[in-house]
This record gives sequence, structure tokens and C-alpha cells, in this order.
Amino acid sequence: MAKSDPEFLARLDRESREAEKRFIGNIANRLGRPAAGPAPVHPYRGAPDFWASYELGTEEKIGRFMDNWRAAGGYPERIASMSGVPEVIARIAKERQARSTIRQNLPELANLQLESVLPELSHHAWNGRDPEGSLNICEQADVGIVLADHAAAYTGTIVVASSADKGRSVSLLPNVLIAVIPAERMYTRLGEAMSRVASIPAERFPAGVHFISGPSRSSDIENDLTIGVHGPGAAYALIVG
Amino acid sequence: MSKPQGSNVKERARTALQDEFLIDAVKFTTERLKNGKKAATAEHGNWEEWRERGRQIRAHTVAHLDYYLSRFIENARAQGVHVHFAPEGKDAARIAMDIAKHRGAKSVVKSKSMVSEEVHINEAFEQIGIESIESDLGEYIIQLANEPPSHIIIPAIHKNRRQIAELLSKEAGETLPPETQVLAGFARRKLRDKFLEADIGLTGCNFGIAETGTVVIFENEGNARMVSTVPKIQITLMGMERLIPTWDDLEVMATLLPRSATGQKMTMYMSGITGPKRTEDGDGPEEMHVIIVDNGRSLQLGDPDFQELLNCIRCGACLNACPVYRHIGGHSYPGTYSGPIGAVLTPALNKNAEEWHDIANASSLCGACYEACPVKIPLHDMLVYLRNRKVERGVTAPGEKMAMRGFKMLMGSHAWFERAVKAGQLGQKLLVRGGVIKSRIGPLGGWTAYRHIPALPKKSFREQWTKVTAEAETSFKPMTDEMKSRMEKIVQSRAKGGH
Amino acid sequence: MKVSLFITCISDALFPPIGEAMSQLLARYGVRLDFPKVQTCCGQPAFNSGYWDEAKASAKTILEAFDDSDFVIAPSGSCTGMIHHYYPKLFEHDAALLEKSRRLQEKTYEFTQFLVQVLGVTDVGAYFPHKVTYHPSCHGTRLLGIKDEPMELMSHVEGMEYVPLPYAEDCCGFGGTFAVKMSEISGAMVEEKSQHVLETEAEVLVGLDMGCLLNIGGNLKFQGKPVRVMHLAELLYEGVRNREQTAGV
Repeated sequence: MAKSDPEFLARLDRESREAEKRFIGNIANRLGRPAAGPAPVHPYRGAPDFWASYELGTEEKIGRFMDNWRAAGGYPERIASMSGVPEVIARIAKERQARSTIRQNLPELANLQLESVLPELSHHAWNGRDPEGSLNICEQADVGIVLADHAAAYTGTIVVASSADKGRSVSLLPNVLIAVIPAERMYTRLGEAMSRVASIPAERFPAGVHFISGPSRSSDIENDLTIGVHGPGAAYALIVG
Repeated sequence: MSKPQGSNVKERARTALQDEFLIDAVKFTTERLKNGKKAATAEHGNWEEWRERGRQIRAHTVAHLDYYLSRFIENARAQGVHVHFAPEGKDAARIAMDIAKHRGAKSVVKSKSMVSEEVHINEAFEQIGIESIESDLGEYIIQLANEPPSHIIIPAIHKNRRQIAELLSKEAGETLPPETQVLAGFARRKLRDKFLEADIGLTGCNFGIAETGTVVIFENEGNARMVSTVPKIQITLMGMERLIPTWDDLEVMATLLPRSATGQKMTMYMSGITGPKRTEDGDGPEEMHVIIVDNGRSLQLGDPDFQELLNCIRCGACLNACPVYRHIGGHSYPGTYSGPIGAVLTPALNKNAEEWHDIANASSLCGACYEACPVKIPLHDMLVYLRNRKVERGVTAPGEKMAMRGFKMLMGSHAWFERAVKAGQLGQKLLVRGGVIKSRIGPLGGWTAYRHIPALPKKSFREQWTKVTAEAETSFKPMTDEMKSRMEKIVQSRAKGGH
Repeated sequence: MKVSLFITCISDALFPPIGEAMSQLLARYGVRLDFPKVQTCCGQPAFNSGYWDEAKASAKTILEAFDDSDFVIAPSGSCTGMIHHYYPKLFEHDAALLEKSRRLQEKTYEFTQFLVQVLGVTDVGAYFPHKVTYHPSCHGTRLLGIKDEPMELMSHVEGMEYVPLPYAEDCCGFGGTFAVKMSEISGAMVEEKSQHVLETEAEVLVGLDMGCLLNIGGNLKFQGKPVRVMHLAELLYEGVRNREQTAGV
């Protein structure tokens, strides 16, 4: 494929701004306004009022998350502290006959020192400065390891945002996904996690924010459920703390 | 992509009704999804409040679409998105082709997008020699079969395991057994290569969040994540009305959509994509385009009868609730969308009433769609309004117009009504056998093909009124004071503006 | 207090016993029904097909007939629903008629609604020793919210064995002109509904709307099945007569 052409894109953007005037103008006109007006009063924002008071206690949250993750076909586990995580990962890797892992490039995950507990495997960390290399490694890796940014118990969902150290592919390409979830990052409601995301200032807003609620699945063939279609087929959620 | 014969629902439905596998598959699927929704919404609780909130958010957004779309565009551009505008479907295809040609793209891999079907994007790519592969398992299957989707959420329900195995075996170059896991496994491997090779990833958009310029995609397979992560260029097609103001509002949509579509608490993946990759990111598209599509949507704005149509979040719950859809399946509906939403959307997006054919007639107006809709679109009312618009524009079957003139005369005054009933009582003597009419001739043939019509009694009710009222008098008992006071209270509260 | 009967065109021409049953039942509670013969049809067949001028011609007879009534009772959820839900649309552009239709809306009740909500009657004292299943018509249920009233009335009928109808909330396929215009689809729907009725092994199919019952009953007869099809007013009246006869009244 040819390289990106800034002139072409600039032309498209110019045409776009022209077209925008007509496009938005048409909408405003049909809605009985001369042009796009000021911010309307936004009275119905978010969930119904009673929802904000729905809160679960810590143990309940974790229990609920694990029930949901399991019901979706994932494997939830509870681990007392980060020091117990390496051996669980080692067990999973052996069960899945993994030969290589890739993790987000985060200190918490580096500290797991998987090289010591699983010396027979090759271990990699996502490198934002080597896109092609990282992608290839992800494609070959059997296990992808992420640290969840947030989690929501009510739906059994983890939130994983992208960054230079947190490639999206880590939680997507390998067939086994291991998500390490510090218990203090567990919310009750999905909206709480969304609020955290929304509060990130625009200049630091992640390009990809992924809400993951279990392994990849499809029922497209005669309504018969199959797990692991494009995304990871084995999804482990390790709740720590 | 080949389309079923005939543009009339009636003709297409005739074919569908005879296809036993199709009908069984549609019934099984819609029942499964309907039951899933019922269970999920009951478990969640307070569904009517959530529905109302969903309606409020969507209706508010649509009523201020100029504002929210402007915010979305501004915020998306600030994050590096190239935004484009497609007043008509063909504009969307033209812009996508422009981008693809300029980069010398050879292949496109796409995730599920109803808008992409609406604008016939695959055909456009094919015409200029660019391969465009569907990656959603169901869409991939029907692409291989060269057929349109038969359901918004589960596009290939009309295909059985053997048919799917045949299609995939041809692709594989070897015989695959009709086993789900094996077939899905093949699709995974085959499409994995396509994800890695493709120059362009094409996605749809479930919701655009105005406050951050984010494109939100719901899915279960992971293919939309692939399509928006691996290829260097991403093109997203977005219906112009698919916006919500804030991430707070996304919680409501995330509560309504999965439960309404499949009965899930959440789809396995929900991705918020805000611009192309950042400079320091190692993956994600280098270039991201969002094409905002009108294609008849703006026709609904400012029209009090149809503006709410734009509330739709494309969950498919109306399909699963509709008894007509359940009997005839998605292929009976001409156009991209099927079921109740399709029956309204296809005509509504097209300002030429002559091209609507009979699609708005494919409904008994039972209202199940409205009851099922998580954002409370009165589709059952809209179908009547469409029928009225057709009549007002003079697009009517001549026989029907005459029959309605007859109705107007006969029902316009009680004298004529009584004459008509009398005429029926006398005239039916030729047709009545054993108290019923079975004759299949004439306009009522459609009725008598399935039912016997009872003969009109010798005297209508009103002809017997004097006798009836006299006989009722013999059973008369005076009204109790309690009842009298109940009735009086009701009448009084009306005068006050209550009740 | 003027309580008027809106008999509906179908029951007027085809099912006189329903009007008779209503008269008789209500007389026992001190209600003398008034029948303004100006009425013809609510206009729904034309309205639903999109012919609103034609529908208005018919609907105007209804507005006129009940102009000075205090209560209007109709043995049909769909005709009552037409008044409540669609007359505001039909008369949208005519202020005087719109006001008339608003007042009509306030005072028009489907039959079971009138018995239960206005009179406060849930037990008419009926004895009806048969196996009965009930089809809840779409418009009555979805447009008017009629769910509890018929159930309450039926629950007090002595000797009756009530069997719930499977997939009761599914449309029977009548839809007025839909049954003729989309006859094959409608045929498939009514066949399915009949099948469910037959599964209950009920002797009697009861309902609140003669359009639906004409449809389902017509198909059952077509299939040669001996299920008796009745409007709830008829069933209750017959039940009351049964009781009165055994009591020697």
C-alpha cells in the first residue's frame, strides 16, 4: 500500500469542512433552527436516578464479578496478593501448553518475573516503539497478560485502555487472555468505570478503551454457541486482594 | 449480492412461508432471543424506567442533532480523525473508494455494519478490484453464499450447519465436517490472515459519543477489535443519528442494547475508539476516517410522526417480537433492514412513495414491536402513518381506493350502513351453506382460504334493539348507591380535568 | 346518567347476542343502556389502511352519537383503542372535532373495563362449568392496558376450568385489512394461534374482540374443530342465566 499522502488528506479535510456546513445546516434547518445552536439543557443524563445508589460491598463485588465472568465462559480466580500471581499464571500456561507470553509493559507485570517461574517459555513485553515486532510477537504468543485499569462487578467487565506500553493486541491476538485485576479497582456499576474514562483529559485520552466481559463467542451457526472465534477463547480474570 | 425475487413483501413472503427450514430456524432463533431478553430484563429490574431513560436520551440527542453532531465532529477531529459527510449512500461509497484508491489498497476487512450494507460498500469495492471480506462469522457466511442477511443480529440464521459446512469447505479447499467448533475454527484461522494482511479495516458504529468524539462498537467475536487494531487505515461508517451526548449516557445504552438484542448483560467486547493511534502507540490504525451517513435520515427530522424513528439503536428486539417477521423471515423484506424497523425505515428513508411497494402493509399492527423496543419507538403507529402518506400521495391500488370510497359512503351515515347490512343479509343467501360462507371467489378469497365466515343473522343487533331493551328491562334491578356514587365521582373528576 | 352502547359494526351486523348480553348484564346493576343509532363504525378499517378522510366520515358518526353520553361502553378493545389512541391523530387538524374526540376518549370504556373500573364489579355471579381458554387481543392489551379486568371477572366464574393459552400474547393475524391483503401471512399466523387453542383442549375460546374471534373462530371452523368461540360478555351472561335457572329464578 502507498504511504500516507498529507496533501490528499488535506484536500479531503477541506472538502469535509465545506460539506459539514451544508450537512449540519440541513439538520438545523429541519429542526427549525437557523444554524447549530448553543448547548441544549441536558436533563436526562446517564442512568435513572435510583441507579446511583446501587452499591455492593467489596466481597459482594468480587463475588458478583466472578459469577458473571464464569457465566460468560471465562475463568475467574481469587488470589490473596500479587506474590501469588506468578504461580497461577505458570499453572495456566502449562495447562494451555503455552510456549510464549506477551504482557503490557507495566512495572506491576514486570515484577511478576515470569522468566523465573516459567523459564521454558519465551516472555515478551509490549514495545510501543517497535510496532511490527510487537505485533508479530503478539500473533505468535499463546498468552496475553494485562493489568485491568478498572473493573465492574455488575456486568463482569474489565476495562483495558491503550497506550505506548499497553498495546491493544495484547488482550486480543493471543488465544489465552490473563487479566490481573487489583481488587481496589473493582467498581459495582459499569457507569462508575465509564466516569473514570470520561474524566481523562482530551490530550491524554486513550485511542482504544476496551471493555471486556469474557471470552470471544458466537452463536451464528444454527444458534450453537462456540467460544473463541476471533478474540481470545480462554479468558482468565485474576482478582488480587 | 443477489436479492430475493420481487420487490413486494407479499410475493417474497409466499416463498419464505414454503421454506420449512427457514421458518423453523427463524422461529427458533427469535424465540431464543426473545426469551433471553425477557430473562435478562427481569433480572435487571425496573426495565420500564430504563426504557424511558433510553428514550429520553435518544430523543433529546436527535432533537438537538445539529449540536451533538457538531460536538462529535469537533472532538473527533481534535483527536486526529478525518471526518467525511455522505448526504446519500453513494457518497459514502465514493469517499471510501477515494481513500482506498489513493493509498493503492488491495484488501479491506470489515466488521458488522448495517450502514455498510445500506450503501452497498462491498459491491463498490469489488467494482474497483478491491477485496472486501466480512469478518463477523454470520456475515462471512452469507458473503460466501452471496445472500443478504435475514436478521439484524444473527444474519445467517436461514442457513443450516450442512450448508455452512459446504460453503466453508469450498473456501478451505477441503471437506469440513458440519460441526460448529470446527467450522468456527476454520473461520478464525482464515480470517486471522485477512486481518493481518488487510490494508483497510472498515467498521460500523453503534454509538458516537459527542463529548469525546469516540466511536463505540459492541460485539461478541472480537473481529471489530481486530479490524480497528491491525490494519493501517480505519474507515468507520456511522449513521448520522447514532449519537449520545456523554459517557454517562453510554451506561444506559450498554444496559439496554445487549439485553434487548440477545439477553446478555454485556457483549463480550465494547470498544471506545477515539482517533487513530497516538504517536507513541504501537498498534492501532495510523489513519482513521469516519464517514457520517445521511441517506434519508434527515428526512425524519422536524417530522413529528417520524423523528422518533431515529431513536433506534438497532438491537433487533422488534424482529424477535414480531409475529409477522417470525413467519416470513428477513429475506421477505426488500431493502437492508427487516422486521418492524425495516418495514418503517425502508420507506421512511426513501422520499419516493411509489417505490415503497407494500412493505408497510406487512403488519397486523399488533404493537408487539413498540412493547419490545428499548427506546420506545411507536413503530406500530408509524406503519399506519406510512400507509396514510402513500394514500395522500396517490399511491394506492385502484381497487382498494374504490373499496374505501364505498366504505366512506356506507359508514358515513347510519341509513346507508343499515341498507348495506340489509343488502348483505339478502345477498348472502346465494353463498351461505350450513350457516357459513366458504366461497373463495372475489376480494374476500384471501380470508376464506383459511376461514369460514358466519352468515349474517336475519336481523342485526340494531334491528332487534327494541326487543333487546324491553327484555333487559325484565331483569332490571335498581342501582346501588355505591355504584351511583362511583359513577358520579368519575363524571365530576372529568369536569375538573382529572381521570 | 346516560350510559350508551357503542355496539361496533362487527357485533352489530354479525353478533347480536353480544349486545344482548351486555344489556342484560348491565340491567342487573341498574344500568339502562342507551343506543344512539347514528353510530356506524369507529373507522378503523379505513384508518389503518391509510384512508383518513374516509375514516373521518365514519368516525364522525361516533362523535355525534355519543356527544351527550356520560359513559360509552364498547365490546371491543380495538374499537375503544381507536378512540383513545388514534382519534387525536385523526382529528388533529380540526379543533372542534378534536375537542369532541377528547371528551369521548374520557368517557369510553371497553366492556370489562367498565364493569371492573366504573361499577366495581368483579363477580357477576356466573356459573359456567366448562374448560375455557382466553385470547388477549393485541389492541386491548397494548393500547389500553387491559390485563387484569378480564382475568378478575373470569376468576369468579364458578365451575369454570381456566387453561392459559400458550403464546397468548402473539397476534392472531387479524389486523383488519391485513388478513385480506397479506392473506398468506395472516393465514400462517391464525393457523398457529388455532393450534395453541387446540393444545389447551378447551371447550370454549373466549375473548374481548370479535375481530380476533371471527378470525380464530373462522379458522377453527374451517378445520372442522368444535371449539365454541364466545365474547366474554356472552360467557358471563350465559353463566348468570345458568345460575338463575338452577336457583329457580
